[in-house]
Parts: sequence; structure tokens; C-alpha cells
Amino acid sequence: MKRVEVKLNLEAVAPLLDVIKTAADELEGRLALGVLPPGEDGELHAEWSQELVGGQESDIRILLALFGSEFFQSGVIGLDPTNCEPVLRACSALRLHLREAHLKPIDDENLESGDVPLEEMPDEQRKAFAAYVFLATLQELLVLHLDPTILEG
Amino acid sequence: MNVAQARTDPKTETATAAATQPQDLWRVVVLNDPVNLMSYVVMVFKRVFNFDEPVARRHMMEVHEQGRSVVWRGVHEQAEAYVFTLHQWHLTAVLEADETG
Repeated sequence: MKRVEVKLNLEAVAPLLDVIKTAADELEGRLALGVLPPGEDGELHAEWSQELVGGQESDIRILLALFGSEFFQSGVIGLDPTNCEPVLRACSALRLHLREAHLKPIDDENLESGDVPLEEMPDEQRKAFAAYVFLATLQELLVLHLDPTILEG
Repeated sequence: MNVAQARTDPKTETATAAATQPQDLWRVVVLNDPVNLMSYVVMVFKRVFNFDEPVARRHMMEVHEQGRSVVWRGVHEQAEAYVFTLHQWHLTAVLEADETG
């Protein structure tokens, strides 16, 4: 994958960053996905979870770094081989959390298809949904650049 | 040392080895979730297991339509390392004893 610069609509994306940063804060010290390590070894469980949380926090920091002062000047984010995998994982973690924290009332099928009654949603939920969709779009873009054949099927 | 590496370190394997016979086979099962994108799941399968496109896509469709897919079978340590890696990618993966073989 070569370096890709993506020009985003600053006015549309900036409000979503507050939602994303709040979600990132809420995820501090805990995993987005409630997964259990295999077996019953307590020490392994602690080590397993600690390492996953550390990786998740590092990934999210890398994602948030895309939206620094340069982004607010130009609206451009730069994706390259050093940040693409962490950004992909961070998007996944944040989407899992947004779904759990804000979008639980929406049926899975409707959430997947995007068929949701936006006008009926409370403001907070609407923003969470917009951030959820934005992160999915960023993931699709990255997946496409990592492997153009992946979206053919 | 990360957890995945620790699982292959003989010194840290004592407890696990006592609980499982070396010849036991285990399977890595990925479960469906309503959040992760299909294209993302395919990409993860390709990167983690080195699957080619049709195989990765078949497993993704199994997860999507049947709720689960066995993506790998083999020895405990390696299976555990794969589960850990899938958790890093935020896929719901579990380790199961393979009683089919």
C-alpha cells in the first residue's frame, strides 16, 4: 500500500470527532469486545486482557493522531503502511463500542443495512450513528487500498 | 514478550501442557458479530491465516450465514495464538477441542 491522502469534508467530520474522542475515552482501560481468553488460567487471563487493552489503546491513539492540527487546516488525513493496520483495528474497536453504548436499540439487520430512521433518533444517537458510519467508510477505504480485489466479490 | 509468544514458550506452557495431551487437536472458531464489515473480516482472514481470496470469503460467509466458522485446526499453542490475534482484530473467536479427528 502506498501513502494515500484523503480529503475529508471538515464541516461534516469535525463534529464526529467529538463523538469518536468520547468513545475513545470510554474505552480507556477496557476492551471493546467482550472476549474471554481460552482456559481457566487466571494469570493468563489477566495478561491476555492487559495486552489486548494496551494494543487497542495504542491503535486508537494512532487513529486520533490522524485528526491533528494539519487535518483542521487542510481536511486531509494521510494513510500509509505504518498506520493502516492500527487504524483499521481502532475503527473496529470504536464501532463496537458505539454500537454497545449508543446503538443497542437499533436492530442488527437495520444497523447493517443502514436502514435507520435518522429523523426519529435522539441527537446523541444520531451523532453516534454518523460516527459509526464514518468509521466504517474509513475502514472500507483502507481495505480497498490494502487489497483492491477484496471488494469484487 | 507478548501473549502469543508466551504461548509458545515451553517454560510458560507447563500448566497448559498438563491439562492437554500434545496430540490433542483444537479448533479456532470465529463467531458472527453485527458490527464488523464483511470486507474487513475477509481481509483479517487473509492476513492472519494467509488464506487466498475464495477461502477467506467462504469462511466469512459461513460466519455471516451460519453464525460460526472453523477457521483453523491444530495444536493448542498455535490455536491459542490465533485466537489472541483474532481478538486483537476485534473478531469474536473461541478455542474448542476438536473431537472430530
